[in-house]
Amino acid sequence: MELEELKNVFFELVAPDLPNEWDVEEAIESLEGIPEEPLATALGQVPVIWPVSNSLCFSYLTQVAGALNCIELGLLSQWVNETLDHYERSGLKAAQRFMMDVQGHFVCRLQGRSGLRYSQVKGRLLPYVRGLAKKNLDLQRADCAFTDTLTIFLPREISLFTNEDDNFLLYKLIASFQWSYIALDSFLVSRNRGRANPSAKGILWLQDYFSGFSNPVLIADIYHGLETLRVKVFLDQELPGLMRDAVPILAKITASPFGREKTGRFFATFQQLVLSQEVDQENGWLQHVKPLLMYGATARDSLALAEDIYVALSPEAGDYERIEPLSFQGRMQLGQVASARLEQRREQENLFVESLATLLLTLPPVTGDAGDDDEAGGGHESGLAAPPEEAVAIVIVGNRGRPGEEENKNPRFITIDNREIELSEELAELAAAITLDLGTIPDQYIASATGKAGQGTPGLTMSAAGDGAELSAPITYDEWDFRRSGFRLNWCIVTEKEIPITRSTFIRNTLDAYHGQIIRLRHQFEMMRTSERFVRRQRDGDDIDLDALVESLADTVAGRPPSDRLFIRLKRDERDIAALFLVDMSNSTRGWVGKAIKESLVLICEAMETLGDRYGIYGFSGMRRLRCEIFPIKTIDQIYNDEVRERIGSIAPREYTRMAPAIRHMTSILKDVDAKVRLLITLSDGKPEDYDEYKGEYAIEDTRHALIEAKMAGIHPFCITIDQHAHEYMAHMYGEVNYIFINDVRKLPARMPEIYRVLTS
Amino acid sequence: MSKNIRIDEHLISVEPYYLPLADEVELAEAAYGAGIPLLLKGPTGCGKTRFIQYLAWKLKRPLVTVSCHDDLSTSDLVGRYLIRAGEAVWTDGPLTMAVRAGAICYLDEIVEARKDTTVVIHPLADDRRELPIEKLGELLVAPPEFMLAVSYNPGYQSVLKDLKPSTRQRFIALSFDYPDLERETAIVVREGDVEKDLARLLVKLAHMTRSLKDSGLPEGASTRLLIQAGKLMAKGIPARTACRVAITGPLTDDPELLTAIDEMVSSLF
Repeated sequence: MELEELKNVFFELVAPDLPNEWDVEEAIESLEGIPEEPLATALGQVPVIWPVSNSLCFSYLTQVAGALNCIELGLLSQWVNETLDHYERSGLKAAQRFMMDVQGHFVCRLQGRSGLRYSQVKGRLLPYVRGLAKKNLDLQRADCAFTDTLTIFLPREISLFTNEDDNFLLYKLIASFQWSYIALDSFLVSRNRGRANPSAKGILWLQDYFSGFSNPVLIADIYHGLETLRVKVFLDQELPGLMRDAVPILAKITASPFGREKTGRFFATFQQLVLSQEVDQENGWLQHVKPLLMYGATARDSLALAEDIYVALSPEAGDYERIEPLSFQGRMQLGQVASARLEQRREQENLFVESLATLLLTLPPVTGDAGDDDEAGGGHESGLAAPPEEAVAIVIVGNRGRPGEEENKNPRFITIDNREIELSEELAELAAAITLDLGTIPDQYIASATGKAGQGTPGLTMSAAGDGAELSAPITYDEWDFRRSGFRLNWCIVTEKEIPITRSTFIRNTLDAYHGQIIRLRHQFEMMRTSERFVRRQRDGDDIDLDALVESLADTVAGRPPSDRLFIRLKRDERDIAALFLVDMSNSTRGWVGKAIKESLVLICEAMETLGDRYGIYGFSGMRRLRCEIFPIKTIDQIYNDEVRERIGSIAPREYTRMAPAIRHMTSILKDVDAKVRLLITLSDGKPEDYDEYKGEYAIEDTRHALIEAKMAGIHPFCITIDQHAHEYMAHMYGEVNYIFINDVRKLPARMPEIYRVLTS
Repeated sequence: MSKNIRIDEHLISVEPYYLPLADEVELAEAAYGAGIPLLLKGPTGCGKTRFIQYLAWKLKRPLVTVSCHDDLSTSDLVGRYLIRAGEAVWTDGPLTMAVRAGAICYLDEIVEARKDTTVVIHPLADDRRELPIEKLGELLVAPPEFMLAVSYNPGYQSVLKDLKPSTRQRFIALSFDYPDLERETAIVVREGDVEKDLARLLVKLAHMTRSLKDSGLPEGASTRLLIQAGKLMAKGIPARTACRVAITGPLTDDPELLTAIDEMVSSLF
């Protein structure tokens, strides 16, 4: 195909976008001369990649000709999918890197010639390390193994062994070793024991400590080596099964080559010990490290020993070249530990400030006699004695009056302006963690908390601003792309917004207009309520069924076999149903349609109130994937009151119909509701559609997938539509029997409660 | 006479093994002396039922246990008329039987019962200590030896299955949790008939699984599961297999969690 022709095909594929012609020419240059069939396949992937990233699509076009040389045509879509996965997880550069080396990154793996990848083991290892750590440790991939105490970083791929089980075992070993460094406090050493500044309290962070040495890298490596030895002894004791399984692979791991000088001999000895290999008994270092071979040695012991060894090694270690660590040992990344610690500190601060502020807000206001301060009762609603800037004299009191507990171990009280406040257990733990880290709880933490409480924490109050104040933090949902049979990760951002209230007589008019029908509906729905009825002639029951008994006695007298069904039982048919109504608020609902939808909502609410089923109503609209808006009109726990009626009256046409994120959001709400039957009823007037490329088959397939997800979560979706063309796509989306088309929108209000009744009885 | 024989069957003659966690035995005895009913809270398999058995043995009272379910009616507890040889004969339900005999009536997993059923215990659970039997027109006053105890697991019940405050506020509540490492090991050694080292590994495994709450495992391995795994090991089943069938399998069906727990098992044993 000629360049000009190719260009036109490309522009058609990406329409209505109009990319820079020059960029396009440059990208498709390499496609010239590719035979027709592979070219068609290659171009067929453009609509898959283009909407995700234009730059990625250009990179794809420059790479695809080369890729077609190494992979079969049928595998091209899989290669593209993996590229997109890389893009979504790690960005453009990562995806481009992945595409560059088709052979190494894709083909070899397909042929089973490469090792085990992180993505293949993460699902198995994450719960494993969390089980070990008993806290929420995370796993991530990196170039080499290490941990920052919050996350364990594992290599992207392990291909040391030919068999997958061994490679996995090595992954597991790495994870276990890295966990052990955390569990054994390798990164922090208590300051109040040992040599390093015995007078100071709290904990000693290694980075700070090592920076005082003339060769910080050497001391760090020595310490890391010794710690690895200690970890090995610890693991032998704690996870004997793992260490037994690991013997064969440890035997295959060879120690790094070392020079003959002192430093080299030391590291050789340590690696041999860790790998359980034979060590020359005459080896001088063996005597040195012996204390660490005992279970129960501490990080402090390692540090003391590391200092001794450092003193012995440093004279000749002027140009110390770092040795390659053992694969499961990884490197100690003390900088990362420090930044993780800072991050954690920030989080702790935020959490502490928030929790303390909330606690302060819940306290009863200080009365006049609670303190000596005249201002004490000055009407601070938060219950604080003084405005934030005056909140001083903060004392953490230990476990007063709690004999047997170590002083200051878990601060239980906090004193602010002579007012003693008891901390909740969670807050006390947090305070303890902060005290351990910083030695004390900094004044500004408490000042911020009292400040926040004094102002009536902004986060806790909800502003009722005019145009849809956000009710919750935005939530991201994946979107289904049928062309790649996979999800676009975190593609849509859904925000719950308050519906702007408009005052009108709509509700009153509706209630008047449908007065007769509402009474009828109530009566109908009342009949469906939880029914308690006596069932007669049961084998077992609460009471004797006298009729049956008389009959049975008569039968006995007459010589016929008597029945044993002689009891009455009270049977309760409970309606355990929760329903969510999802209302299309797209622009096309303007006019009659919107009015009919609102009227039907009023009617259904009136009916539902008699029925007693739990139900919620949400509206949805929005524009583009980053602004999918949900308008809660009635949440499942809210009561149907004037506010809800007002919100129904304020439903107004807004923007587009990106239905799937709304359905996914409803699913996430409904799946947490405990009910035997969970219904999601959508009221719509047309196909799913958005301003961007979200239309047609793509939109229908995404919506269909969202509905499948809902069904998998145990939710029954149902759609009421007034779209004349509904039959063309509804059956595919919802299934043949799960939608109903109403040909006259004026009938909707009358039909809706009826549909619900039929659906649930 | 026949009733007496039946209630005697509920007497526990051999001391059940129970290792106290704290002062729960003294508290329960004090409650018994004061005629206050007990509410036992705690996760599954942590020893609630064993505790009440031990208490019944210690107090030398028969123990009548009712496992509650959502079809349990008031008559199932109080009693009903049955037809025998053409005659209507009143038969006491387990609750009535326990009250008459001054036994301990233990309603296991009380939240599973419907709320209208649980209301029947209200007059029995406060200072009136009486049980009206409507159908007999009888008001049964509980003797001082009678004790009511109920249990539930606050962990997995939904909000819908919470106890009504009017029910809750008649009891003294004893909270149970899994014992600490040492005690749980001792329990597994004793009940599971395994060596101390093996028992300790089992308990470690349980601790690991109990921290998987955020990874999607609603409840970790209970002491009961550990004991069962221990019993299998004592019968000669290899440790990893025993753990797989007695701990991993019963805990979850989720394939990822299954493999993860298997990894823990293979790390420990």
